[in-house]
Amino acid sequence: MSDNRDPFRLNRRRFLKGSALATGALALPQFAFADGHTKKPSELIVRAWGGAWGESLQAGVADPFTEATGIPVRLDFTEDNEIKPKIWAAVDQGRVPPIHVNWDTTTNATISALRGVTVDLGDLKGLDGLLSIAKPTGIDGWPLVNTYSYVYVCAYRPEAFPDGPPESWRVMLDPKFKGRVALYDDGIGFNPIAVIAGGGSMSDIPDNMEPGYQFYRDLKENEPLLGEDADFTTWFQNGEIDIACTISVNARAAKQKGINVEWTVPKEGCKVDTDGLWIPKGLPANEEYWSKRFIEFAITREAQEKWCSLLGLPPVYPGLEPPADLAGDPAYPTAPADFEKLVSVPSPVLVENQPIWFSKFSEIMQG
Amino acid sequence: MAETAAGGKPLSWRLIDGVDRLVAAAWPRGLHGMNGYLFLLPAVALVFILVIGLGYMVEFSLHELDLATYRLKEAYSLTNYQTFFERPVYIRVLWRSLLAAAIVTLITLVLAFPYAYLMVRTTSAATRKFLLVALFLPFFIGQVVRAYGWLIILGKEGLLNSIVTGIGLPPLDLIYNYPAVILGLVQYMLPFAVLLLTPAVAAIGEDIELASESLGATWIGTFRHVVIPMAKPGIIGAGIVVFTLTLTDFAMPEILGGGTSDFIANAIYDSYFQISNIGLGSALSIVLTLVGSALVALMLMIAGTGTLGFAERKS
Repeated sequence: MSDNRDPFRLNRRRFLKGSALATGALALPQFAFADGHTKKPSELIVRAWGGAWGESLQAGVADPFTEATGIPVRLDFTEDNEIKPKIWAAVDQGRVPPIHVNWDTTTNATISALRGVTVDLGDLKGLDGLLSIAKPTGIDGWPLVNTYSYVYVCAYRPEAFPDGPPESWRVMLDPKFKGRVALYDDGIGFNPIAVIAGGGSMSDIPDNMEPGYQFYRDLKENEPLLGEDADFTTWFQNGEIDIACTISVNARAAKQKGINVEWTVPKEGCKVDTDGLWIPKGLPANEEYWSKRFIEFAITREAQEKWCSLLGLPPVYPGLEPPADLAGDPAYPTAPADFEKLVSVPSPVLVENQPIWFSKFSEIMQG
Repeated sequence: MAETAAGGKPLSWRLIDGVDRLVAAAWPRGLHGMNGYLFLLPAVALVFILVIGLGYMVEFSLHELDLATYRLKEAYSLTNYQTFFERPVYIRVLWRSLLAAAIVTLITLVLAFPYAYLMVRTTSAATRKFLLVALFLPFFIGQVVRAYGWLIILGKEGLLNSIVTGIGLPPLDLIYNYPAVILGLVQYMLPFAVLLLTPAVAAIGEDIELASESLGATWIGTFRHVVIPMAKPGIIGAGIVVFTLTLTDFAMPEILGGGTSDFIANAIYDSYFQISNIGLGSALSIVLTLVGSALVALMLMIAGTGTLGFAERKS
């Protein structure tokens, strides 16, 4: 009869138990690592713009992603400029950032990358197959992924232009449009255009912005309204403006709501830019993992086709057809010839100079 | 005594007794004479936290932004303050804010005083109730909602312009300008001013006014030489509150100003958020705090702290 109370006696059961524990202990770090990466978060928070922008992201990316993974996606409509310092502070203080994915302008995203708060996305699947504009310029690696390009068009009320669309941005200076012209409240999307409309050229940017500043001074006499995306729709709806520099998405959304708005690319051109997605540093490993999967999903053919078609913007996934209402539209550039009509300022130039341009714009408009 | 408990002592006395016993256990016996000051601790703590925040802002304001990393440079400099003085836009928006604060304070006090006077002196309970409801109703509606309300009323196709165009006149530009901001602020500040003036007016005995009139003073004379001087603490208090709230306001100029009637608070917001320059934003905040505090101090110096009821007790 064996003595089971003897602690040092090795029977078969004890041997198996001990072996299992030892194996488990050896394998523990690997399982924990794998579990840490695959454990699904209760939700993913994606900062987004509201209105047509948020609706398109929800329908084109967030909902299909939730369907595929079971992870709910919540859109956070905090202003892009307001979320930036919150993320910066969280990363600096070692706190978990308030969002998982930031949908941001490329310039702002690059600024955050310079600040060192972005996760490198170079290991995402599908990056190789995208158009070259998907890759950020002037900065190493993939701190962000550009997801589409967009154009700051000249939107106008057709009743105010009975002879056809405005041919030049200089029509904004016409006294008959006094108080009926609108720009973004920081001048975004218009700074390089103002230089050209003010008699300068692309070669003047960024060293000689004076023609643009003079254009702003002249425009100031015409008492322009300054606002954000949502304001333009309201102003057009209420008949408070006749002409505005706004992103084509807003003009298209207004038109789809039955507001009589058209848009054009005047002879001086329109500024073309990109938006992207990035992930802030400091997320728990599993949440960062699923945030990367979200961006990976956003650059798939399926997501790009639906998201960008709803936005009415050219995606970074190659070979997709434009929505029927935008085929041949100069605000939907696809071929190199389309881009020749548009004005593109390299991202590094924007990052270094945009704050200066914003300040100068504010100085003139607050006069 | 309404709050007398079953034991005979009022509730407030028993509360103070409780605090005394608590303090006796944790406070040196020699300092028991200062027990009353312990009640000031929460307020002191709040102010202290505010001062810490301001201290950080002073520190940030002394560093220039490095555009290569979007972090503040290590070296101390006065660049942000230099920017404030060198760039006319900041002086301009500060001046615009100060002017608005002065105009809004004046108009608000002129409108609020009769309101408070009527609310106190009316013999009709219905009138008093109506005035009270009208006074408190705006408090349930936030500043942003009220500003949007003005957009609906004053917009190109708003209520007023519908009337104007209805009688065959061209529509008026009633919003997105400085007067619209002033109008919105006056409407926002009016309840604050009335609330601060009401106790001051209520403290003036009606018999004093009657005495003045029975001695031959006209109603205007009584109002000028009796009511206004006696209501001075309320007028100064309301003036200071309305002035400082207007000076630091953000929402009204943002919504009703159309982007071209910014106040200094909007410039601070832009520095922090639009151009990510925390150093410049902090410098502007410090300037605003200093200017605001200096002006309030000046008002108190001119009016005397005694007007707020802080006069030294005369033996």
